[in-house]
Amino acid sequence: MSDELKSNTSPQPDAGPAAARSTVPIWIIVLTLLLLFLGAVYFDHHSGWFDKQVYAPYTSAGQLASYQPKSGAAAAQARGRTAYEAACGICHGSDGLGKPGQAPPLTGSEWVAKDVASLARIPLAGLNGPIQVAGKDWNLSMAPMGAGMSDSDLAAVLTYIRESWGNKYGAVSADEVKAVRAAINGNAPSAADLARMTPVERGHAVFQKFGCAQCHGPDAKGGVPNPNAKTAEQVPSLIYVADGYTKDELIAFIKRGERDIPRMNPAGPEPPHFMPQWGPIITDAELDDLAAYLLSLKPRGENLGF
Amino acid sequence: MRMNNKFGVFLGVAALALFGAGVARADDQLDAETKARIDRYEKGPATIDVSKYPQAIQDNYETFSQKCAQCHKLSRPVNCDYVLPDEWSRYVKRMMHKPGSGIDSADGKKIYEFLTYDSSVRKKAMLDDKLAKLSPADKAAAEAKIKEVHDKYDNK
Repeated sequence: MSDELKSNTSPQPDAGPAAARSTVPIWIIVLTLLLLFLGAVYFDHHSGWFDKQVYAPYTSAGQLASYQPKSGAAAAQARGRTAYEAACGICHGSDGLGKPGQAPPLTGSEWVAKDVASLARIPLAGLNGPIQVAGKDWNLSMAPMGAGMSDSDLAAVLTYIRESWGNKYGAVSADEVKAVRAAINGNAPSAADLARMTPVERGHAVFQKFGCAQCHGPDAKGGVPNPNAKTAEQVPSLIYVADGYTKDELIAFIKRGERDIPRMNPAGPEPPHFMPQWGPIITDAELDDLAAYLLSLKPRGENLGF
Repeated sequence: MRMNNKFGVFLGVAALALFGAGVARADDQLDAETKARIDRYEKGPATIDVSKYPQAIQDNYETFSQKCAQCHKLSRPVNCDYVLPDEWSRYVKRMMHKPGSGIDSADGKKIYEFLTYDSSVRKKAMLDDKLAKLSPADKAAAEAKIKEVHDKYDNK
C-alpha cells in the first residue's frame, strides 16, 4: 500500500529521457522571425502590388538609368533607348514591331530608312491620317511626342530607332534635329512676339507647339476617333473645360495625364489614344497660358442654368 | 537581461524595416492618395434613403441613379466630400460633357439639384464646415444657391 502511494506521488527513478522545455535557443526564433519579416518587407518593396508594371524588368526609370554606361557611343545608345522606352515604346513596342491598331512597326519601315529630315518631322510635328508602312495601310494619329525633347535627346532616340532591331541606317545628329525643328517652327511666334501676346494667345501657341490638336482637333473641338474608348470612341472636346474644371484642377490633370482610358467594351481592346503625362514636358509658365486658352474656349452665351 | 537586449535589437531592426517599407510605398504612385480616397468612398453605401425628400427630388434621385451608374459606382458620389453647390455644378458638368455621357442639360440640372439638396440635408455637418471656411461673399453665394434649390422643391 505504501509502495503504491509512493509510486503515484513521485517520478519513477528509472524513467526515460524527456524533452526539456526549451531546446531551441531563443536567438534562433528571433532570427527566424526577423528573416521572415525582412522577407515580407522585400516582397512588399519588389512585388509592385497590382501594378502591371510589376513585370517590367526594372523597378523604376531611375534604376534603369543607373545601369546605363556613362559615356561614349554606348551611353548615347543607352540614352536613346531610355527616352524611346518612355516616349515611344508604349505604342511602337520595345521591340519596334508596333502594335495593331495603335502604331505601325519601326523595324523594316521605309519611313525610318528615309532621309533624316522626313523621319525627324514625325516626332516633331506629329502624324495624322492614312499612311503606308511596310506594305500595310495605317490610319491613326500620333502626337508630336518629340516636340518637348531637347535636340540631343531626340537625336539619340532617332539614332536608337535607326540602329536597332536589325535597322542599319546610321546615326542622327543634334544639329540635324535642330534644322528640322527650325523648319517646322518657321512660323512659330518668336520670344518677342510671345512677350507681347495675351495669355490666351500664348496658350494657343502652346496648344499648337505640343500638338494637342493632333488628338483634340484643330479648334479643340475633339472628334478624333479613339476606338473602344468609353467617351463615344472619340477623343473628348475641350471647349467645355471651363464648366468642369477650375484652373488648378485643369493644370493638375494635364500634368498627370490619363494612361488608362475607360473602355466602352471592357473585354475589347485598349483604346489607342491616351492623355500623355505632360508634367515633365510642358513648363509651368506654358501650362498657365495653356489653361488660360482652354478656359477661354467655352462658347459665349451658353448657360446650362446651374 | 541578455534576452531583453536581443529583443531590443529585434525591435530596433523591425522598426527600421517598417520605416523603410513605408518610404518605399510613399513614392509608389503619384495618385495613390486620390485612389485611396475613391476606394474609401466606394466602400460606403450605394443608395440614399430619399423617402423623406420632396417627391420631385425623389424623381431627380432616380435620374441621378440611372445616369451616374453608367460609368462609376454610385457609392462614390454618395459618400464623397463634395457638398458645395459649385463643387456639384463643376463635377456634374465635367461628367456630362464627356462624349457619350447621355446626360443632357436638363438631366444635368436635375442631378445637380438633387445632389445640392441631398448635401444640405444628409451631409449638413460637412457642408456647414466647408461654408464656414469660405470668404463671406462666396459663402453668401453658396447659401443663395442652396436656398434656390430648396425654394424650388420644398412644400411642393
